[in-house]
Amino acid sequence: MTDLIKEQKLLENVTNPFKIKGRVIRNRRVEVFCDKETVSSVLLYAKTQLGYIHLAHMTCIDWIDENKFELVYTIWSPVEKVHLFVKTKIDRENPEMENIDRIWDQANTYEREMREMFGIEFPGLKGERDFALEDWEEIPPMRKDFDTHNYAQQTYFNRPGREDAKDVRETLVERSGTEVPDFAKKYSRER
Amino acid sequence: MIREKETTLYLGPQHPGITGNMMVKLKVQGDTVVSATTHVGYLHRAFEKLIERRNWLNAFTLLCRFCVPEPDPMELTYARAVEELDNREVPERAKYIRVIVMELARLQSFLLWYAGQAGSGGLYTMGQWSVGDRNYILDLFEDLTGGRIYHMYIWPGGVRRDLPEGWTDKVLRTMDYLEGRQKDYNQLMFDNTVFQKRAKGVGIVPKEKAVEWGLVGPPLRGTGIKSDVRIDEPYEIYDKLDFVVPTFEGGDVWARAMVRQEEFRQSISIIRQAIEKMPKGDYYNKVPNPMKWIVPKGQAWAKTESVRGEIGFYVASNGTNKPYRVHAKGAAYSHGVTILEKVLPGQNIADVSFIMNSLGVCPPEIER
Repeated sequence: MTDLIKEQKLLENVTNPFKIKGRVIRNRRVEVFCDKETVSSVLLYAKTQLGYIHLAHMTCIDWIDENKFELVYTIWSPVEKVHLFVKTKIDRENPEMENIDRIWDQANTYEREMREMFGIEFPGLKGERDFALEDWEEIPPMRKDFDTHNYAQQTYFNRPGREDAKDVRETLVERSGTEVPDFAKKYSRER
Repeated sequence: MIREKETTLYLGPQHPGITGNMMVKLKVQGDTVVSATTHVGYLHRAFEKLIERRNWLNAFTLLCRFCVPEPDPMELTYARAVEELDNREVPERAKYIRVIVMELARLQSFLLWYAGQAGSGGLYTMGQWSVGDRNYILDLFEDLTGGRIYHMYIWPGGVRRDLPEGWTDKVLRTMDYLEGRQKDYNQLMFDNTVFQKRAKGVGIVPKEKAVEWGLVGPPLRGTGIKSDVRIDEPYEIYDKLDFVVPTFEGGDVWARAMVRQEEFRQSISIIRQAIEKMPKGDYYNKVPNPMKWIVPKGQAWAKTESVRGEIGFYVASNGTNKPYRVHAKGAAYSHGVTILEKVLPGQNIADVSFIMNSLGVCPPEIER
């Protein structure tokens, strides 16, 4: 068992200047929690002062029960080889977050995706509004309250002959008027 | 000097050089690119959303389809993230098998890359040969998993089946064959003046900006920076194996090609070592009831070195039998959008797909 000295030191270096909370998760993993106004300062500080120059990942998690979006920024230092997670929670109603594409250019891609998939606004974000979707008019699709099943039923139609979502073997039998071969019977869906 | 008129050129979405559909909108003056904008959206299949509706193990059928040339790193990374959440130990033998599978996956992906890289440079014979040789590796996968491209073989807790009898001998024979083929590949591609002239000095990523821009994998090592998840954050049994992470100065297409050429040899060596050192024993730490398996609450981040660079999975669980959120980030996410847009200006139109291939752009991975 390593004694996590490197990780403890990083935690102190990040939490002390900003008076925020955090913890060492395990070897090479440290997380800090801050409010949404502090995020960009923490990231900029970690990048310029602590050598965490690689933005490995950014993600958003929709905690619908808490009515919050959790944003996770994962940064990595090629020297220390430790991952630092900077986490923050923002309101689900009219979500807005500071964009960090002036700190890392590639953050722009993540933020454009989040704007489209979760509906989080990043004021001043460059680039077209459409990222992967085109002319999307529903609620942002990665939100937990977007009902994929309902959407699929309203948007798409079944292939002719498959309206009832019946077992394909039964449909074949009905059409051809022959019996299901023995070998196929055991695979037939139980009803 | 006559100033040429600026024209807009749409390259793609059906693309000559890369796997999948993606459009690059180029502004060109004569045949020089002035600016480039990436447009994705031709391959969005909402995998991340669909995974949220499936249980922890069902996710594998979707995961391996994130990026066609590289299904196995996706499986391994997700499996490792889930193992971290569940505190699940992996038997020693399974770790060795995973490494062998990963390196075989690396080799087959390299062979596919040879075809793309040489093809977009006009050397079509190379593609015929390397894709033909790739089939020998796919045969090995078929023996092992039943599938040629998509395997769903690596699971949380280990791998799904033990190695079939005599499989390792087949692997070793294939490795000998591939090693022997190296000189043919060199003659056709790396020692070829046509390839060298096209590749040198093209698509340069500056060394001092490389990490900051999010460059990973062979393109990063092609700028002279030694960075590889297999040594930076050793997983499975990579710390017990003896291998070199090659670097090459220059940051251009040529440097990236040279890195890959050496890595091909390293992968063969890793497979041989893993087969030699592999212990006997269990291959799967069984999940109690796969369909009702509940993974404890928490969040985990795992990353793996794929052929094109690090692949990371962020997995969140709310303590039910379904993943609450799975987010994948592959190398192409930064390579294919922001880095490509920075590298292309000033290049010739004919080199665009050449550069895209060399950066390892894989559109299905960008939009998932």
